[in-house]
Amino acid sequence: MSDVLLQAENVGIRFGGLQALEGLNLTVRDKELCCIIGPNGAGKSTFLNVLTGTLRPTSGSVRFLGHDIAGLPLHRIARLGIARKFQIPSVFPSLSVEDNLKVARWGASSPLRPVGELLELVALDSRATTLAGQLAHGQKQWLEIGMALAIEPRLLLLDEPTAGMTPQETLATAEMLLRLKGEFSIVAVEHDIRFVRALNCETLVLHQGRRLRSGPFHDIETDEMVRDVYLGRR
Amino acid sequence: MIARDRNWLLIFAACAALAVVYPLFADGYQLTVIRDALIFGMFAASLDFFWGRTGILCFGHAAFFGIGGYIMALITLNDAIPFGSLLGIVGAVAGAALVAAIIGYFLFFGGIRGSYFTIVTLAMGVICQQAAVSWSSVTGGDSGLIGIPPIAFDVGGIHVDLSQDLPSYIFVASIVAVVVLALWSISRGRWGTVLTAIQDNEVRAAALGHNAPLRLLVTFVLSAAIAGLAGALYVCMAGLVAPDLSGLLLSTEVIVWVAVGGRGTLLGPVLGAIAIQRAQQTISSFNPSLWPLLLGCVFVIIVFVLPDGILSIYARLKGLFKGRRQAQ
Repeated sequence: MSDVLLQAENVGIRFGGLQALEGLNLTVRDKELCCIIGPNGAGKSTFLNVLTGTLRPTSGSVRFLGHDIAGLPLHRIARLGIARKFQIPSVFPSLSVEDNLKVARWGASSPLRPVGELLELVALDSRATTLAGQLAHGQKQWLEIGMALAIEPRLLLLDEPTAGMTPQETLATAEMLLRLKGEFSIVAVEHDIRFVRALNCETLVLHQGRRLRSGPFHDIETDEMVRDVYLGRR
Repeated sequence: MIARDRNWLLIFAACAALAVVYPLFADGYQLTVIRDALIFGMFAASLDFFWGRTGILCFGHAAFFGIGGYIMALITLNDAIPFGSLLGIVGAVAGAALVAAIIGYFLFFGGIRGSYFTIVTLAMGVICQQAAVSWSSVTGGDSGLIGIPPIAFDVGGIHVDLSQDLPSYIFVASIVAVVVLALWSISRGRWGTVLTAIQDNEVRAAALGHNAPLRLLVTFVLSAAIAGLAGALYVCMAGLVAPDLSGLLLSTEVIVWVAVGGRGTLLGPVLGAIAIQRAQQTISSFNPSLWPLLLGCVFVIIVFVLPDGILSIYARLKGLFKGRRQAQ
């Protein structure tokens, strides 16, 4: 279909004797928001690494806008329109917040948003001249999201964007992403169910490297098997 | 303009003014001593441009200095080649840049970084020095090549001859000033900021669309080209080239000059090179064997007391007085 941005088909990956992922399918359409959840060791981050081309699947394929991106250098993947937020806040600590965003814009093939707008978007306009290394953990996470936005991506992949955040910061991050919904596609790997509930989007549940369930979050939340394996019963 | 840039320009202007008035007070010998120290200062700035901005240490930087020197010597000693001085400089710069491009390509695109890069470049320096000794039919072997003519060329009908002390001093000081200013402009602009980002987190920079290995390679090549230029100028001023100019000792000394002067400041390494060269000559005149011991001690003291080099003394004193005032 013409609006398909990212298509992962029958993806499997094996590390020695460990089958980390098996038979995973994911289709991300243009401007779609979706989440990948699952317990620890389910293979969420591994799947994200495959989706970003960092890891080459041992079976299946990942295509972005029709291109096979497995094994491409990171900068080429970014220039194709895929931005990524890493699990551990990954900023440039010896540069100011403003310079972090500038460096991100310089990497883009056609940056559109000015730095001032990005600063407002990630609520760091009052910290523009602060060194990124001196920011609080949650602010680093936001700065990294801002850097990912600066390259004007077609697809934004977020690996645990709210890890280490306070409940208030988590909700603020969800609101930020909901504001951005409709500008580009977003795939978020997340542990925090409050965050996923706030996004209330299409959700893929992984368990032991396989798809357990997929569908709208309100269906997932009430699914017996998902509650048994991951969410737990109240 | 931010305060750090303004301070740098003030120090640069002060150094330039000192360089302009120095010939009024110095005799011919003193001029040649400072001239040669300035060339080594430019060599130190070339290493600092790479090491200071990328955080990757090249331990064989003298190889590029030596390559530039040998190419300059071979071209200017060949009477059949016209415009020997100009072609020699172009050849020296291009030769050093080409060697850096070949070695750098395999290292940077092969993912070699940190101490592995340092070790490989250390080996490169040893190989270059050994090649200069062994390939005696071209390089003159252990004794090197002598009788290299001073730089001379015509510009717009004016004959420039750098065989005299004052013209050669002015020529070298001007080139060093232009090179240091150009490197500083590159360092503080977009290129330098992205290099700082790559030094901080190369994977993050790549994930934002920056071709990190290519940027590192271009910086390395530019750094080597300037080292080659310094080598070319030095052999014309000294009149000889020898394997020591591409050896491990010079590679180590230039690291000390940069560390003492202040890594990442570009001006600091130039001042560090001049200060250490002058100190070496003064101390060696009393006792030649004392110098290496003193140099080692100075290096250790600087690393412990002033890890950011001598150029950071002002900032440290300012911080100290500010702290005392706040305590009162």
